Formats: sequence, structure tokens, C-alpha cells
Amino acid sequence: MKLNIEGLLVYFPYDYIYPEQYSYMLELKRTLDAKGHGVLEMPSGTGKTISLLSLIVAYQRAFPLEVTKLIYCSRTVPEIEKVVEELRKLMEFYTKETGESNNFLALALSSRKNLCIHPEVSSLRFGKEVDGKCHSLTASYVRAQHHSNPNLPVCRFYEEFDSVGRQVPLPAGIYNLDDLKAFGRRKGWCPYYLARYSILHANIVVYSYHYLLDPKIADLVSKELAKKSVVVFDEAHNIDNVCIDSMSVNITRRTLDRCQTNVDTLQNTIHKIKETDAAKLREEYRRLVEGLKEANVARETDIYLANPVLPDEILQEAVPGSIRTAEHFVGFMRRFLEYLKSRLRVQHVVQESAPQFLKDIFEKVCIDRKPLRFCAERLQSLLRTLEIADIADFSAVTLISNFATLVSTYSQGFTIIIEPFEDRTPTIANPVLHFSCMDPSIAIKPVFQRFQSVVITSGTLSPLDIYPRILDFRPVTMASFTMTLARTCLCPLIVGRGNDQVALSSKFETREDFAVIRNYGNLLLEMSAIVPDGIVAFFTSYVYMENIVASWYEQGILENIQRNKLIFIETQDAAETSMALEKYQEACENGRGAILLSVARGKVSEGIDFVHHYGRAVIMFGVPYVYTQSRILKARLEYLRDQFQIRENDFLTFDAMRHAAQCVGRAIRGKTDYGLMIFADKRYARADKRGKLPRWIQEHINDGSLNLTVDEAVQLSKHFLRQMAQPFRQEDQLGLSLLTLEQLESEEMLQKITQIAHQT
Amino acid sequence: MTSLSEEVLLVVKKVRQKKQDGTLYLMAERIAWGPEGKDRFTVSHLYADIRCQKISPDGKAKVQLQLVLHTGESTTFHFANESTALKDREAAKELLQQLLPKFKKKANKELEEKNRMLQEDPVLFQLYKDLVVSQVISAEEFWANRSGGINNTDPSPYNNKQEVGISGAFLADIRPQTDGCNGLRYNLTADIIESIFRTYPAVKQKYSENVPHNLTEKEFWTRFFQSHYFHRDRINTGTQDIFSECAKQDEKGLKTLVTQGVKNPLVDLQSLEDKTLDEGYGICTTQPSTSNANKSVKDSSNSAIIKRFNHHSAMVLAAGSRRGELASDQASETSSTDGNSRDSDFFQPPVKKVKLQEAIEFEDLQRENRPKTVPLNLKKSDRYAHGPVPLQSQQYTTSQDIINSVNYIRHEMASYKPSLTQVLSSTAATSAIAALSPGGVLMQGGAQQAINQMVPTEVQGELKHLYVAAGELLRHFWSCFPVNTLFLEEKLTGHLEEMLQTAYSKFQVWQTRRMMRKT
Repeated sequence: MKLNIEGLLVYFPYDYIYPEQYSYMLELKRTLDAKGHGVLEMPSGTGKTISLLSLIVAYQRAFPLEVTKLIYCSRTVPEIEKVVEELRKLMEFYTKETGESNNFLALALSSRKNLCIHPEVSSLRFGKEVDGKCHSLTASYVRAQHHSNPNLPVCRFYEEFDSVGRQVPLPAGIYNLDDLKAFGRRKGWCPYYLARYSILHANIVVYSYHYLLDPKIADLVSKELAKKSVVVFDEAHNIDNVCIDSMSVNITRRTLDRCQTNVDTLQNTIHKIKETDAAKLREEYRRLVEGLKEANVARETDIYLANPVLPDEILQEAVPGSIRTAEHFVGFMRRFLEYLKSRLRVQHVVQESAPQFLKDIFEKVCIDRKPLRFCAERLQSLLRTLEIADIADFSAVTLISNFATLVSTYSQGFTIIIEPFEDRTPTIANPVLHFSCMDPSIAIKPVFQRFQSVVITSGTLSPLDIYPRILDFRPVTMASFTMTLARTCLCPLIVGRGNDQVALSSKFETREDFAVIRNYGNLLLEMSAIVPDGIVAFFTSYVYMENIVASWYEQGILENIQRNKLIFIETQDAAETSMALEKYQEACENGRGAILLSVARGKVSEGIDFVHHYGRAVIMFGVPYVYTQSRILKARLEYLRDQFQIRENDFLTFDAMRHAAQCVGRAIRGKTDYGLMIFADKRYARADKRGKLPRWIQEHINDGSLNLTVDEAVQLSKHFLRQMAQPFRQEDQLGLSLLTLEQLESEEMLQKITQIAHQT
Repeated sequence: MTSLSEEVLLVVKKVRQKKQDGTLYLMAERIAWGPEGKDRFTVSHLYADIRCQKISPDGKAKVQLQLVLHTGESTTFHFANESTALKDREAAKELLQQLLPKFKKKANKELEEKNRMLQEDPVLFQLYKDLVVSQVISAEEFWANRSGGINNTDPSPYNNKQEVGISGAFLADIRPQTDGCNGLRYNLTADIIESIFRTYPAVKQKYSENVPHNLTEKEFWTRFFQSHYFHRDRINTGTQDIFSECAKQDEKGLKTLVTQGVKNPLVDLQSLEDKTLDEGYGICTTQPSTSNANKSVKDSSNSAIIKRFNHHSAMVLAAGSRRGELASDQASETSSTDGNSRDSDFFQPPVKKVKLQEAIEFEDLQRENRPKTVPLNLKKSDRYAHGPVPLQSQQYTTSQDIINSVNYIRHEMASYKPSLTQVLSSTAATSAIAALSPGGVLMQGGAQQAINQMVPTEVQGELKHLYVAAGELLRHFWSCFPVNTLFLEEKLTGHLEEMLQTAYSKFQVWQTRRMMRKT
């Protein structure tokens, strides 16, 4: 259908539309019009992606000079591929309606592991290996040597791409990962480099967060993306953690040992090169004297995305003299390394700020702040000069140099914690230096600054106002949309008591309590008897799950559950869990029914959807608080309190509730879907917890279902499931939660739609 | 009837049967006995018909051998040669012991087949009860007529029936009971053993390796329950327990399952993340991962339980679907073994494409493409359930007819004028009313229709059985024509008549009983 969104003609590739989709597009358009940032929460399964794509593509067509590019960031590879498929559908609709093939270029970009077509390289299992091998075949000096010595292996796909691939741009169309590979095979070009090259002129780029948020990758891939782009972070409820992760560094004794070997290798290579090819080193020196002017010019003219690791100031200066020659730099690294080693020899926990650390390092080994800041840049230059084949081997020294640059650049937002041993095993020395970022805004700041519109969206972003605060930006629109429903297809229940009136809770004091564990088991057992097909149960942590499973086994509860359904359990091994997951789906598929025991914050809870019969009920055992005893977390909480005025408890609850919402939201993936959401902890009944759930879940919790016993929950569930099992047709939805174009245009409906968006 | 070409394996003289002296012959396929001085066997049993042999206890005065047939009959031979009676009996017993198992399989198979047919076909079973058990005809005759069904038909339609899966909790069903003196009793049924074997092929292998030779069945299961293998929370400490190998095999099986990877790319957790952080970056907000070395015993036992549960569920699931998937599995295996990753790329997309399409589909946003169907709307479901009302096809009226007739009637009604002089006589009117009221001549149609309700169900059932039984007998009767052998003639004149007589008298009995019940 063709929609009129405040004067913009939007092609929408379906015959019907959900009211909230229309509302969502309205808000999105306002965000784009204002050239500002937005935070939009819309329940999963209401067609968020297609609404986003429809509107932004329409906008791009209408105002090609205002918005030149859409950068769509998602979380996992399947999600990226899903987005591209939806886009394909939209484009097919455009072609059908307008009768002309449009010249849109859209493509997905992923790591080499998912794109490589080189027979040997792509057969490697791990992404890191693929990257390393690829680098050893495509690095510039390897190829230069290949000219003189044709026996040296190079990647023929890259060679082919390099010689002809850049001349003609990728023909317009929609390229998913497999399409890129097919295209690459046909042409004999490397799909990965082709994609990386093509994102510069593509209209739509779909890739993972890391390509924009992780400075190490963003610098390589996304540096030159146009300023007039719209950036969308989908499934962004965890974006702050991604930011923090990309800026934090952990250094163990093992890292230092490996770094030591790296430095030795560097020194030997320098010696060798000095004997054979001293000119190369002199050339490097000259380059360093001239400084990083090029990069500086580029950034000033706004061509490059700023790199938070490479702060503006250092671009204006040349590399300081003390580390300009290769030998001096290696010596410098050695000193720094020795210092770190000495710091790891502590007997007690140390926590200090970056300035304290710098002061200490200056006093102890006379290392100045300035050369430290150039460390990362200097090392890259050296590695290039020395023609190191396998970069992967030098990950340790790269890590240390990145740390050096970071610690000397940011005086705020980071903390250094040195722990001589793990808390649980105080006798075993295992010193770790955590250099942890506490301010997610540092990593995401360049994105907000550079691109004209950044949209943060997800099914669970509540409470909305916390994201602008922790990411430090000023949105022009913030809205939360509900799910209009013709039938109440979700049934949130808070089970606070067992049948014996024992309060159910996963809180620390009652964690080992047998009565609680038994009642939890009872809840699962009863549910397994009445819920058809699949049940997913989430625990607060892996250790907690292990303990509960063990005691359920001892009490014979699991055996009784097995009479009703098969049991599959998430393990810490990803491959094993994948297997269990597939078997779980198979068991749901063939009608036997199964239970999946899983962990909140685990991979399953974040990346796997349980549509329809794969998840008819989700049980959340306990409130998934983060492990609060960790010093890093404590430091972060302190920082949040001081900098953003967010109270510790507020943040912890917010964090726990967003994960709980993520978990239970896995079961509902659309309006025809239905599922129970059981919160098995009495603390969910409190207003401060409940109020932090997304609005579309909160609305359906009525006062009667706040503190149920297991039996009561079973009764309610039975009733709900029986109702949901009745046939549900399109006609039932029409006019309520599903609209035709005529219905949409009616005055009355438009009025209703304005109520769907909940502005904050 | 005796063919001379039969090989005689053993001849024992002075064997008495039914107080008659005679000679016992053991031949290649049957055992026979003939009275002294005659060259005819009065007793002859095929080995296949013999279920078992029994011998009298050693201390007894009479040295006897009893043969029990599958039909339940038995024949007893008394070895009467005083000096060698025991030896003779032993010789016969030994030989039988060797011979019987050879035939047993064949017999069992047939018997099983018959048993199965009876179990699967309740009508046949009833027939069997009516005719064979009540001795109207003999079992052989009953089966002779159906033997075509046993031997000739392709067994595949029977094997096609859906296989019953395994209960996930079959191990839980083996509840140990204490026997009062520090012992535990486990009750195993054939079903449970079957379940164990199907779920854990490793155990089955152990069983077939060990049971007849090294261990008795009982010992085997005793060890099974004592083993660490059965108790999954205990850690396998590598004792010389025969099941420790099973655990290792399971582990291996689990590993191969894991390395095979998953077919559905959407659930492959390993390739979910696009870019994992390099080692050393990121913060571990969860508790630091413990290395294996300092894991406590409890932890590893817990994770062992989890592993075992996953494995158990996977095996149960696989056991349920093993048969059907065998062929397709092999196909996929060949493709995955010879395919390096490049090839697997070519194989992957179809699954992936389908899954992706499924994932982005919004069925309710699309207009339904299939032709619009009219939903079945039942106002009176009982009318739907009780079959169509008899309706002559010729008299089918079109809607136009109906409209016409309605118009006509309306017209008639409008122009209707009562002419009170020409009304019916009162007698005619009352008789008409009587005929139309319940029980009247014209209202009987409704009552007749419910004949199935008039007769009680058990009477109906009996009648049905009699009908089927009589039908079967008649089938026997007609199958004797044309009468071209002596046997058939005998059958026809002799006992078939008798049989029909029996059947008829049975019917009589039934009828009188029915009458009595009625009155």
C-alpha cells in the first residue's frame, strides 16, 4: 500500500498495516526532519524493521540530498540477514508499483569469516584465524614480494578485485551475504573487500554495531562514511555495554608474557632489517616527522569519522622524538612492559584513576604522558614497516599499546583495578589489570557528532529516559509504542508464592533455601503439564542454574518433568548449546514438547527467538541482577552516580529489568503468536520493578496477577491457553490491530493512532 | 501319509503312549509314534508345533517325556524298557533339545504373526473367539483359510504403522524399592529394557557382548544399576566397571553431534556474533570464568548432570525418529563428509533462505492469497453428525420453484375463502388426527428409524458376532466347492455340517435368550 506520512509518499510492501507501525513512521519522520537523534521503543513482532526501512527509503528517494545513506546496525548475523531480506521485499514492491527498477544499492557487511570464498582460508573455523590468514595473503608487502617471487602465495580473489574491481561500482541491487559471495565467485573477486569498498557509495549498509562502535574496526571500515547518513541501532537495549566493551582492556600475566615475546621478535626483526634494508627505517622516520598531517586534514574537512582512540590533539603533532626511531620505540615498550609487570606483582587489590596511574608511571620509570599517547599509532607504523605477516601473533603488543594510548588520553571515565587473585580462590595468584571504561558515551560520541540522525530502537528500551543520560546525547524524539491487540495474546503473571505460601525469590539470602528451590521446581513441573510444545525457562546466572538443576535432580523433580517434556539445558559451550537448541526445536516441532533451561544475559536470551510453538511460555526464575560484588561494576555505579546522577539501585534495577524483558519478550514475536510470561519472584510485584518493564508488557499486568501462588498461576494459564488455542483470523484483527488503507485514513483512526505513541 | 523318504534320526522302542506299547521315531521334521505291530503312526507332531518338552523328575518310577504343543495339547510318552528307559529318554531329550530350537524360530514367527493379526484386528479376534475357542472349527482350519494372509501378503503395510516413541522419563519409571534388608529392587519390564536399548545403543552392545557368555541377564542389570553410568550425578572415576566405556562412548557421541553442527543457521550460536572482541578487550561483568583446574568437585558433577540431560533428551528424541530418518541422514552425511566448506556453502542456502523467509514473514499483514473459502458454519451440529436426511434426487427443487410455490401459496391464502358447507365429516377428521398423532399410522416412520436405539447394545453386539461367525462358516462352506478331493468331501459332509449345526444352535440359544429378556 502507499501511505501518506505527513506529506511523504511511503511505499509499504504489505496490504495491511498495524496502527503502531504508522505511528512509528510518523515519529521517525519527525526525527529525520529535525536532523536529530531519536529513541523509539516498539514491541518486537510489530514489524519495526520494515517500518524503518520503508520510511527511510522513501525519505531517501524524496530528499536525495538530505539523506544520502542509511547505516543500519544490528546485533547478530541472522538479524543482519533478516534486515536485508526485508529490504529486498521492499525493493521488489517498489519495482512492481513504479514499474521501473530503481538504482538502489544495498548490501550487508560482515567479517571475513562470513564472506571469504578463498577455499583454504574460508575453511578455517574461527574468525581470528580467517582474519590472520587473509592478512598474510593480502598485505601490501606480501603482494609486493609476490611480484618478484611468484611462488609466494597470494589470494587470487583479492588480486582480481584489486586490479579491476574498483573501476566499476557494484551494480545496483540488494546484496545479502550469500549474494555477495555468489557475485564474488562469478567475477572472481573477493566479496569482503568488494563489500568494504562498496559501502562507500551504497545507499544502504547493514552491518554489526562493532563496525561503528568499536574504534579498532570503525577506523578501518566506517571512517569515510558520508556525514549525511541516518544511523539506526536496532535491538539497541544493550548498546551501552557494547560501547564499554569496545573500550575496555584486561591485562593478565599471560598477556604480558606474550607481549614480551612480541617485543623480542620486533627487536630481532629490526636488527635484521637494519642490516639488509636500512633505507626502509629511514623512510619511516621521515614519515613520522611529517606527522599525522594527512589524517588531521581529513578529519577537519569532515571526511573521517573521529576515532576515540586517536584523539584530535595528537593529530596536530608529530610523533615525539623519544619513540621516533624503531629501536627507541622498542626500548620504550620494554620499559612500559616491565612497569606493568611490577604492577601485577601486588598482593592486594588496587584501584586508581588514570591520572594516578600516569603519575606513578612517571615517578617509577620516567615515562611521560605524551609518548604513551602515540603508542598505538607508532606500533601500527612499525608493524607496517617491518612487514609483519601475521598480525594475529602481535595481538598482545597491540593490546598493550592500545592500553597505553587510552590510559594517557582519557583522564575521566576510566578506572584501573588490579586484582591479585579471584575472589572465590584467594589462594591462587592470578593477577589481572582491568582497565575498564565506565562511560559508554566515549565510544558512541563520534557517531552522534558525525551523523545527522541516529535512531536507537528496540523492543525493550524502558525506561526511555535513561538511554540519553548514559549515552550523553540529546534526542529530538523519544517515544514508546504499545502493541494494539485484537486479543490479549500475552499473559504476564507474577508468581510470588509457592503453594505452601513460601515467598519465591532469587535474592541472595534465600538462594540456597530448599523450600524456594522446590517451589520453583513445582512451578516448572505444573507448567510442563499444561503448556503445549515449548517452554523456555531463564535463570539469573549460570551458577545459579547449575545448583538448581542439581538439587532438582536430587529431589526427583526433573524426572517428573521428563514425563511431560524433554529437557534441554544451556551450557557454557556454544556448540553444545546450539545442538541442544536445535534438538529443542525438533522436539517442539514433532509434538513431543520440550523445556529449555537457559540463562538471562546468555547467548540464547539475546539472540534466539522462540516464535509460536517454540515458546508458549517463558518462565523467569528470579530477577536477573548483574553480579554486584564485582569491583568493576561498583566503580561504574559510582561513576554513574557522580556524573549522571543515576542512583545505584535505579541502574541495577533498570539493568535487571531490561534483561528480564528481553527474556520474556523472546516468546512473543507477532500478533498471531501467543505466550505466557511468568515472572517467578515476588520482587517483580513492586512498583519500582514493574514500572521499568516495557509499556507493552506492563499494560497487561493487572492487579490481580501480582502475587500469585503456583496453583493460581496454573489456573490462569490454563484459561489463557484454552482461549488462545481458538482459531484467530485476519478478520478478527481488522479495524482494531490491523488496518486497511481506507481504515487508516479515517479521521477516527488517526485520532486513535496518536494515542499509541507514548511520549516522554 | 507317511513318505518313506524321511530321514529317521532316532528310533526308540518300547515306548508307551496311552497305555499302548509302541515305537517312537524322531525324524528330520517331526516326531512320531506308532503302536507295536502296525506301520501307521497314530501320533505325529511336527517339531514346529511343539512348544516345549517336559521330563519327569529323576526319582520317579515312570520315566516319561511330555511334549506340549502350541495349541495347548500335550502328549506323554512313557519309556518302558526297564533297563535302558532312562538312557532312551535322555537320548530322545537331547535330540529334541537340538532340534526344537531350529524349528522354534519358524514356529514362533508364524505364531507371532498370528498373534499380531489377532491383536490388530478386533473383528478377527472376536471371530477367533467365537469359532475356535468355542470349538466350532479347529485352529488349523481357521488359519488355513487365512494363511494366504499370513504368508503371502507383503509385510510392509503392517510395518508401516507408526512407531511408538520412548517416554522421556523411562529411567524415572524404574523406581527402586527397598527389600527390607539393605537391598534395592528394581523392576524392569521388557518395555523399559527396550527403551534403554533404543536410547543407549552402547548399553545394548554391552548386553549382546556379555550376557549369554560372561554374565547372566540378572547380573548384567544389577551391574547396570550399580554403575556410575546409571547415576549420572556421580563422576565417572574410571573404574573397571563395564559401563565406564559406555559413558565414554556417549561422550564421543555427544561430541560428534556437536561437531556436526546445526543445520538451521538461525540457532547456530557460534556464528551469531558478527565480531567477537579480541582476547583482552571487553569487561567481564559476570563472574570470572574459572579454569578447569580449580573447579570444585561439586561444580563438575553439576555440569556432568547437565550434559547427561542434554544427551539423554537428544537420544530419546533420536530414538523416536531414527527409523524414518535413516535414509535421509545418510544422504546428508555423504554430502557433508565430502564437502569442504566451499561445498557446504552451496548446500546451505536453501535451508537458510527458507528460515530467513519464515522469520521475516508477517502472515497477518498480507492479504490471503489462497482462494477464499466459505467456512463451514453449522447451526445444528447434531444434524451434521447424524447423516443426511433421505431426499429423492428427482424431487430436488430449485430456488426458483420454491419462490414460485411460495408465491402460489401466498396467492392461494390471499384468495382463500372458507366454504363451511364442504368441510370434512367429524369421523374422518378424528381418524386423520389419530393417524397423525404419535403412534398413529402416519407417524410410525419416525419410530422405525430408531431401531438401533430399540435394541440394547449388547444384544446388537451379540447379533453382530453371530452374523460374522456365520459368515465365516459359510465362507468355509463355499470354499469347499468344487468338491474334487476326498478331504474336501469329508470336510463338507462330516464336520462342516456339524459346524453349521453348532452355529445354528448357538443362534437359537441367542434368540431364546433374547426372547426371554424381552418378556
